[in-house]
Amino acid sequence: CKDEFLEVPVTGQISESQLTTPAGLEGLLIGVYAQLMGAPDNGGGSAGGEWNGGATNWVWGSIRGGDANKGSNAGDFNSITPIERFEVQVTNSEVQFKWEGSFEGVARANTLLKIMAKADEVSEAQKTRIAAEARFLRGHFYFELRKNFKMVPWVDETMTDEEAKKVPNNTDIWPKIEADFQFAVDNLPETHSQIGRANKWAAMSYLAKAYMYQRKFNEAKQLFDDIIANGTTTDGTPYGLHPDFGDLFSLGGENSAESVFAYQATGGASSTYNSLHEVAMHQPYSTAAGETAGSDCCGFFHPSFDLAASYRTQNGLPLLDGSYRTGTNELVTDQGKASDEAFTPDAGPLDPRLDHTVGRRGIPWLDWGNIHPGKAWIRDQNFAGPYTPKKYALDKTEYGTRDASGWTPGYQATNFMIIRFADVLLMAAEAEVEVGSLEKAREYVNLVRSRAANASAFVKNLEGTADAANYVISTYDLPWTDQTAARNAVRFERKLELALEGHRFYDLVRWGNAAEVLNAYLSYEASKLSNQFGGATFTAPADEYLPIPQTEIDLQGKDDSGGNVLTQNDGY
Amino acid sequence: QGRTISGTIIDAADNSGVPGVNILVKGTSTGTITDVNGKYTLQIPANSTTLVISSVGYLTQEVEINNRSTIDVAMESDIAQLSEVVVTGYTTEDRREVTGAVATVKSKELVAVPSGNVEQQLQGRVSGVTVITNGQPGTTSVVRLRGFGAFGGNEPLYVVDGVPVGSTNFLNPDDIETTTVLKDAPSASIYGARAANGVIVYTTKKGYDGKMRVTYDGVVGVTTPGKVDNILSPQEQADWIWQAKRNTARQLGYPVGSDKYNALFVSDQFGSDPAGPVLPDYLLVGDRTGVVGEIDLNAERAKYNNDPSRGSLYLVMPADKSGTNWWNALTRPAILNRHTLGFSGGSDRSKYYVSLSMQNQDGVLIYQNFQRYVLRLNTEQTLFKGVRFGQNLQGTYLSARGLVGSNGGRGAAGEENNYLDAFRMPSIIPVYDAFGGYAGTQAKGFNNPRNPVGIRDRNVANDRNFSFGAFGNFYAEADIFKGLKIRSSFGGGLSMNYFYDYNFPTYENSENLGTYTYGEGAGYNANWVFTNTASYERDFGAHSLNLLAGVESLNTGIGRNMNANGQEPFSRDPNYVSITTTGNNTAFSSYYRGVNFFSVFGQAKYTFNDKYILNGVLRRDGSSRFGAENRYGIFPAVSAAWRVSSEDFMAGVPFVTDLKLRGGYGLMGNSNNVDPNNQYSLFAATLNSSFYDITGGNAAPTEGFYRSRIGNPAAKWETSETSNIGIDGSFFGGKLDVVFDLWRKDTRDLLYSLRTPSVIGPAANDPAINIAKMRNQGLDIELTTRGNYSADFNYEVKLTGSFLHNEIIALAPGVEYFDAATLRNITPVRNQVGYSLSAFYGYQVLGLFQNQAEIDAAPVQDGVVRSQDATEENPAQGTGRFRYADINGDGKITVDDRTYLGSPVPKFNGGINLVLGYKDFELTAFLQTFLGVKIYNFSKWYNNFYPSFTGTAYSTAVKESFTFENGGNTVPIFEDVSNFSTNTQSNSFYIESGNYARLTNLQLAYKVPNSVVGRYGFDRARLYVQATNLFTITNYSGLDPGVAGAADTQLGIDVGNPPITRGYNIGLNLTF
Repeated sequence: CKDEFLEVPVTGQISESQLTTPAGLEGLLIGVYAQLMGAPDNGGGSAGGEWNGGATNWVWGSIRGGDANKGSNAGDFNSITPIERFEVQVTNSEVQFKWEGSFEGVARANTLLKIMAKADEVSEAQKTRIAAEARFLRGHFYFELRKNFKMVPWVDETMTDEEAKKVPNNTDIWPKIEADFQFAVDNLPETHSQIGRANKWAAMSYLAKAYMYQRKFNEAKQLFDDIIANGTTTDGTPYGLHPDFGDLFSLGGENSAESVFAYQATGGASSTYNSLHEVAMHQPYSTAAGETAGSDCCGFFHPSFDLAASYRTQNGLPLLDGSYRTGTNELVTDQGKASDEAFTPDAGPLDPRLDHTVGRRGIPWLDWGNIHPGKAWIRDQNFAGPYTPKKYALDKTEYGTRDASGWTPGYQATNFMIIRFADVLLMAAEAEVEVGSLEKAREYVNLVRSRAANASAFVKNLEGTADAANYVISTYDLPWTDQTAARNAVRFERKLELALEGHRFYDLVRWGNAAEVLNAYLSYEASKLSNQFGGATFTAPADEYLPIPQTEIDLQGKDDSGGNVLTQNDGY
Repeated sequence: QGRTISGTIIDAADNSGVPGVNILVKGTSTGTITDVNGKYTLQIPANSTTLVISSVGYLTQEVEINNRSTIDVAMESDIAQLSEVVVTGYTTEDRREVTGAVATVKSKELVAVPSGNVEQQLQGRVSGVTVITNGQPGTTSVVRLRGFGAFGGNEPLYVVDGVPVGSTNFLNPDDIETTTVLKDAPSASIYGARAANGVIVYTTKKGYDGKMRVTYDGVVGVTTPGKVDNILSPQEQADWIWQAKRNTARQLGYPVGSDKYNALFVSDQFGSDPAGPVLPDYLLVGDRTGVVGEIDLNAERAKYNNDPSRGSLYLVMPADKSGTNWWNALTRPAILNRHTLGFSGGSDRSKYYVSLSMQNQDGVLIYQNFQRYVLRLNTEQTLFKGVRFGQNLQGTYLSARGLVGSNGGRGAAGEENNYLDAFRMPSIIPVYDAFGGYAGTQAKGFNNPRNPVGIRDRNVANDRNFSFGAFGNFYAEADIFKGLKIRSSFGGGLSMNYFYDYNFPTYENSENLGTYTYGEGAGYNANWVFTNTASYERDFGAHSLNLLAGVESLNTGIGRNMNANGQEPFSRDPNYVSITTTGNNTAFSSYYRGVNFFSVFGQAKYTFNDKYILNGVLRRDGSSRFGAENRYGIFPAVSAAWRVSSEDFMAGVPFVTDLKLRGGYGLMGNSNNVDPNNQYSLFAATLNSSFYDITGGNAAPTEGFYRSRIGNPAAKWETSETSNIGIDGSFFGGKLDVVFDLWRKDTRDLLYSLRTPSVIGPAANDPAINIAKMRNQGLDIELTTRGNYSADFNYEVKLTGSFLHNEIIALAPGVEYFDAATLRNITPVRNQVGYSLSAFYGYQVLGLFQNQAEIDAAPVQDGVVRSQDATEENPAQGTGRFRYADINGDGKITVDDRTYLGSPVPKFNGGINLVLGYKDFELTAFLQTFLGVKIYNFSKWYNNFYPSFTGTAYSTAVKESFTFENGGNTVPIFEDVSNFSTNTQSNSFYIESGNYARLTNLQLAYKVPNSVVGRYGFDRARLYVQATNLFTITNYSGLDPGVAGAADTQLGIDVGNPPITRGYNIGLNLTF
């Protein structure tokens, strides 16, 4: 009796043995998906925090890549400032969050695979499918780690916790990532009844992307050929480009033919962590309580001068030589002008994607029925510049489906596309440029540009009677014969098409021209926002990757020979 | 042949009759007890020679009878504490025989200052106890007995009438009869596994054999909010913003008058003239900000709209050019009421103490209120000879509203809260707008502080939370034969709580809450303890033996909680709103089973000739917190005392009245810091962490699981090893009492949740493992001196002091530190081997760079630019910014240059209590002090730096900031730059001394003479006037130097600390 008295049952949580059922494994798999956007502090430790542990890579891919700056003012969230200035310290909290958020995903996948080995009552077929989804997701999390941190330890389901702590980061994990995606390609079905699941084609796309990062263009091209010809979304829709470029980033464009793999956000949970929370603070600053722009906070993630200017067109084509930054080519901005001072927006030719990507004065703000007033929506224009981000910004039609339990309206239900078909097409174009046909590359790029040229999707004036600006866009109609020119065109198209979606920095690093491009960017921005960018420089190769978080080096401690288990990246 | 004697026992101090005094014929069991007026009548045997007269709280006297038939005795009151009775929960000891480190607190001291929570009254009154508290009524406090033994769960064990409790805020201080603090293992390890942090034992008042006595104790008063005036006036604010722009331009090398220079002078409120700012007349009129000149208010009234559901906002906010004092707007004088009516009495077979009490105390922060209503019913019945049955029961209604801060209010200092809001709102913003709505930062240019009056008016005003509880114990006692007593007690607590709270959307702030949410919930908790003891007491000539054995089982609390919330009801009328009338409503519940303990314990005490005392204690505890292999812990302790003064050779030393040397050693256990589930690896499904919308809908995500806890079945008890050497001395016939204890407490097998590397999953709770070591050591001193200058004039001075040294000896192998607390991306605390818990950590500021030459010659430092590194876009700059110490001397400032900056653990705390009596007047003063303590004044981050929140309120400290014109070496240059050398790093700029002394109590009492009170039927009447917290001597620049913390690993961080402010009370004590 006495011993029983000292056994108090656990409440509200369950043990491993209760999870070796089909439902248990499926539940664990859902838990892995849930980590795609990072998760909150759970008392024990954070699982990536709210802003920078998940898949949007707004800081890591976009801000570092020159798409945008931190925004807001000098003081707020100033742990991002050293990141955008390439002065990051090894103790930076946001770096720690990215590491945690990614490894929590890895750990959840590993835990599932370990428990699966004990789940005797579950059929092999079900196990295989679950394992394939889990390994797809693990591949994703390791991909995040590899592209941000370069040298990371590979921990998998074959290791105990104790063994996992002792794995050094001395081996390139690309082969392991490929193996996970390959397993997923081999074992995932083409369709699922639940649209949030990764399918075979998503896995193949991710595998091809991993090849691109290793410059394995032949292998990538093979896969891209198959994907472009035969690929379908999880509900069986053949991959295609969503006709409306603006709608693509709204609730209405969710899970379209273009959505290869997406984080499935919801606003109906009364829990902001199920929403697209990483972008919740990207709304325009200080507008009245949701009634004029769905915002009251916080004004982060301001598109850069460089990005906005990149949308200048000449004969419908972008200025690949960088001349968009000079003279009359330069985009007219309202920098330094109060909202009640007169301002005429740029009248020159522009790529229509500008006004789906960058919020700027004089152009209607999404579907809110009002015109972006410029400075009045900017927290500190002197610091952050004149623009607000528009992709994944809160539409009026999304206002009612947002997660209203949050302190700010930006917790939307809109999915975030981790891979979309335009990304696939542009990677395929790159592969064609490198190892295939320049004309095939042109064809892919033109597919993307043709969609952008869909005039019915252009941003219109408030009355809907005319385009909001002078949109001029055309396809590349002359055959591509010069590889370098083609390469430049494809790369620039990626910049325009995928701006603010967390890709740019990684693209620059894998292309090997990050130092050149980013130093030009930093110097251009410093001439506009000296306060934020004055003196910032990018140094290759150290700044191509984040430091291994000092906390993790400390926590993993020493190996048997007395050295640290984790080795810091060069340059930190 | 016997005869009858009679008499009156009076209190020597006030000549009032003392009821309940034991009068015993020496050497017999014949005796009686005085009645309510102190009168007695006693039949004494023929050969009687001496009466022994004793009562709790008074010196025991022996009086020769000599043939007298009337014997009146004046009792000396309890000033000679060494003769006190010490109630230790399981036993009662004479203070003379105590061998461990034990302190008692007089019930009078507990009521000296009417705080909501009795624990606050222990500060400075008991050596070895540290209480760090704040000014919110009903707040909890950091209460630590002899330091910090662990990384969490360092609260002492509170035992009330034998029942362990987590908090003592339900107790009415007027009901408490004795308070005993058990500090070392020999005294505390009878409580075994839960005693490592010391034990505080309270017992409540008992009835007595006599006529009913009624007491009334009442106090009413007012607490003032104090004066706080450290925010720049509107004109100063504008001028300093312009100064920041000039400084910024100069750092960036913009020539005065250049376009870039002029472009900086743009402001939403203060114009755009580089020559100087212009104060607006209106902060906001519709979408116009910084409006200068008059406006047509009637026309604006027609356009005014502060309800977003009726269309776009249109607000009209005048500028308050004279300056709003937000502290004044947010505070008020707070009324205090405490009244207790006590009834006690009984017969030889039945005794009772019944009391009714209420405390209703407002906080100085608007809508802050503490209420407690208590009914207490303590009775004891003698069923038949030698068998007693009794109970101590209380019913409580408790409500603490509007408290700020986690952990019952004590976390407030380290969190952004309404107190901080008062210092973030610029003074030019009025509380209300032109038409009666709220004003705020919706007027651009002031960043994002929220109008704290608006928040509290709308939300806190209607919020409620309260609990009903029953608490107490039933016991039966039987005297089996001479000396042997058995006792059985069953006790516990049952409480039910309910809360509801409203969260209104706002419109006046720059970052508004868009959604109305409403939540309510309830829960219950039940805990119990069943204790059975046998005790044996016997004298064999010069030998005396006390034995105690016991068995105890308990559960720390079983309960459930349920709460729900919803959004946007059709009407916001509180009479309409319930969960049912809201939308998107969601329910949550939780269930917990607590921790079970099963324990056996024993104690043996042997005394020889009142000179040598030997005491041994042994307790074995089992707990469900631990896995089967390590479930039980054994905690022994031994102690001894030598009464030197009883030795013959001391007979020649007349000034020594009593002198006892004590020494003790033993082990105490602790498991507070371990989750009940620590032994298990667990999985959980939580909405935030593991649900996912796999179907792609937007309604309800699918449940998923994640590993929520990594288990450690091998965890075992933490053990504290204590050693103590002490002296109890009484000199000059009781004129000077000295208690002195030198102690050390080493905690080993310290349970520490070593953060697991992220590679195995950071979301799971890390298991506590027995790995760390902590040392606490110190010196406790109590000195009391008392005497009379004349028959009318007496005094007593009591000094209490505690020296404390706390040090982390070891964490895990290879682990030298763990960081705690992150505020605005600054990590101020590092718990590090070789330093105290919660030590401050960061860069050492050597000063400010006075000129460019200093920067050029200094080690390379981010955030400043040396001339040799300057470029056109990035000119040499950084004058006026922090200059950090290059601790490792490698010529550059890196993370390796961070260092220890100070500790919030007070090295000394103490108090002085002074009582002066003159005739019927008594003056009491109590001064408490903390020395050797540092505070991390993080509020400076908000209002000393321009860009922390650009445009918010700034402190008057910026007037001392560095300027190119006037220099300065304390407050850094006020400029629009946020970087490594300005405000993004933890550094010594934020560290301030937290030393202070506070006159907690100054009281003048008047005892109405018996001749007067008797006329109105009273036995006793006492009136007093009191000032609490009359002054605080400190150099600390924040609101209050008593900075607590929510957790032991992050103490002393001040973001907005509820201050303890001055109060004035009048009180009345009546007995009839």
